[in-house]
Amino acid sequence: MDRRDFIRTAAGTGAVLAARPGAFVRDLYAFQETANLSHVEARYYIKLPDREIECQLCPRKCRLGDKERGYCGVRENDGGTYYTLVYGKACARNIDPVEKKPFFHVLPGTAALSIASAGCNVNCKFCQNWEISQVRAEQVTAYDFPPRDVAAAAEANRCPSIAYTYSEPTVFYEYMFDTAVEARRRNIRSLVVTGGLINPEPLEALTKVVDAIKIDLKAFTQAFYKDYVRGDLAPVLEAIKLVARQKIWLEIVYLVIPTLNDEPEEVRKMARWILKEVGPGVPLHFTRFTPMYLIKNLPPTPLSTLRSLRKIALDEGLQYVYTGNIPGDEGENTWCPTCRTLLIRRNGFAVEENAIKGGACPSCRNPVPGIWA
Amino acid sequence: MTESLVVIVRGRGVRSRGGEIAPAVLARIYERGLGLLTGQTGAEEALRTLFAPSDKVGIKINAIAGRELTSPPAVTLPFAGLFSRIGIADRNVVIWDRTNRELRAAGYALNADGPGPRILGTDTAGVGYDAEPFVHRNIASRISAVLTDRVTASVSFAILKDHGLAGVTAGMKNYFGAIHNPNKYHDDHCDPFVAELFDAPPVRTRHRLTVLDALVVQCHRGPAFHAAWAAPAESLIFGTDPVAVDAAGWRLVERLRKEKGLPTLAEEGRPPLYLQTAERLGLGRAAEADIRLLEDEV
Ligand code: SF4
Repeated sequence: MDRRDFIRTAAGTGAVLAARPGAFVRDLYAFQETANLSHVEARYYIKLPDREIECQLCPRKCRLGDKERGYCGVRENDGGTYYTLVYGKACARNIDPVEKKPFFHVLPGTAALSIASAGCNVNCKFCQNWEISQVRAEQVTAYDFPPRDVAAAAEANRCPSIAYTYSEPTVFYEYMFDTAVEARRRNIRSLVVTGGLINPEPLEALTKVVDAIKIDLKAFTQAFYKDYVRGDLAPVLEAIKLVARQKIWLEIVYLVIPTLNDEPEEVRKMARWILKEVGPGVPLHFTRFTPMYLIKNLPPTPLSTLRSLRKIALDEGLQYVYTGNIPGDEGENTWCPTCRTLLIRRNGFAVEENAIKGGACPSCRNPVPGIWA
Repeated sequence: MTESLVVIVRGRGVRSRGGEIAPAVLARIYERGLGLLTGQTGAEEALRTLFAPSDKVGIKINAIAGRELTSPPAVTLPFAGLFSRIGIADRNVVIWDRTNRELRAAGYALNADGPGPRILGTDTAGVGYDAEPFVHRNIASRISAVLTDRVTASVSFAILKDHGLAGVTAGMKNYFGAIHNPNKYHDDHCDPFVAELFDAPPVRTRHRLTVLDALVVQCHRGPAFHAAWAAPAESLIFGTDPVAVDAAGWRLVERLRKEKGLPTLAEEGRPPLYLQTAERLGLGRAAEADIRLLEDEV
């Protein structure tokens, strides 16, 4: 795979160019199709009597008999040993602007080699990538792309980072972890885009080998998580706190869905919680919802809602609050919280101007938190 | 309301210890079981009351557990062959499950377009799942195009067994193999999902008959095979009430568990609650008092 192959995917198109059966999307890559499953022993599970296992990777803790598969659809008990079916099997790989993840405080204006496998440990009714996340491992066309090759491809394509994204990287944990180790050997950073439903032990281990984690906080109520995510809020909050304690970068995204999670008071509570538990410097992105998957009856989020929620979070003391999926909106830009100098001007996924110097505001020298070089 | 009829026919010697099927005994089971179920003299007359010559019949099997615990071709092919006697051509009968890999592993020779009944997985080239998820109550799943495109009348030919999550897997849960994301419905002992999937129109409107394969019943630690808890019940169970036949299957599992000194599924905290949900949805009768169980032997 060379740079030209990747460039053809036109970073910034906004689409996940996943390799899937033709009904969904054109496959723009000339990859070698394998259509096979991996049979690599999973990490973080315990063996139980009578060939049962309990997966301990995420809060679901699936307890499964022989031949059964976890909720995520990509891990299977075979004879009492638990296997990941997606190790080294990418069903989507693209070069994306890092802003698309979105990471706004990580190497702005650079490209991230982005990969995913099938599967997810929740079932969000508004999933933007459900055709790869809500399927079992064999229902996508997966390509052999082992960790070493991913790191090499990132280097060859001059991507300073690899993003584990699109579906839910927790469910391809072993693949992500080993890729991050390979990447670090080549000075390539690893960026994780996750819903945050991962148990503390594997998460903490992961933070030792990756550089940044973006957590989707999908709402600030358990009711929303139960009804629209099929997961729980509490473990996500714990994951945010755990990542914040580590020496890696954290950003938080909140997809605003009209009438479902756009209550100003809930957002205010969330902003206060973030301020208390994480601090004022964590970027918070309010992104625009587009009708998708099982929620097609609601309109896209009004711009006014996004802007007013952003204002609430800023008023509560968070310093880097953004709007997302509104190209050209002022809320996409980074401003110095001390002297109000415009630091980064963005337009969609493009960085039009970056004034940050040595990780600080060029005017007042106030440090700007993030990974800048 | 009249009771729902469920028929259990035992055929002594129908399956040897080594798994060989005695065709003559099996044929008698079909004749007797289908006949008793419909009040007809035999299988042919029985099938005429349930299917039309214009039907395209899908026989959905459950091949997840390999050769040891899947209804083998020696059992399902003779059943599929009965349809030619009522004017349904072999090419309009399909034995199917979700993947060709699992069918092969269970001993099936795939047959997408050759002579004889079709045998294929949903992952056969040109088949697949419907592109859009079908949304019904708590279900949002892409449904196998075998069911939606190729079948007008469905038989759930399900192996009866204990199931670690659902309690029991039988005829209704067999349709988990007709959707792309069954793993999403394991919470709360698969309740209400088993019932709600069956209630979804693409399934409910096609389903005509349940045949439970209880030749060997895995009464504990299913869905995989564990020799210690595999009981040779030598029976097939027939029903047109999908809830009643599954409820009868469940009671057989409980009986076999008791014989092996195992606790009840309720005591293990996993009774098949989806049966009550299915009854509430009006899909059939779950209570023992509402089911007329006819047991016979050939
Ligand atoms: S990672 Fe998958 S198998 Fe493991 S607990 Fe989570 S959903 Fe279950």
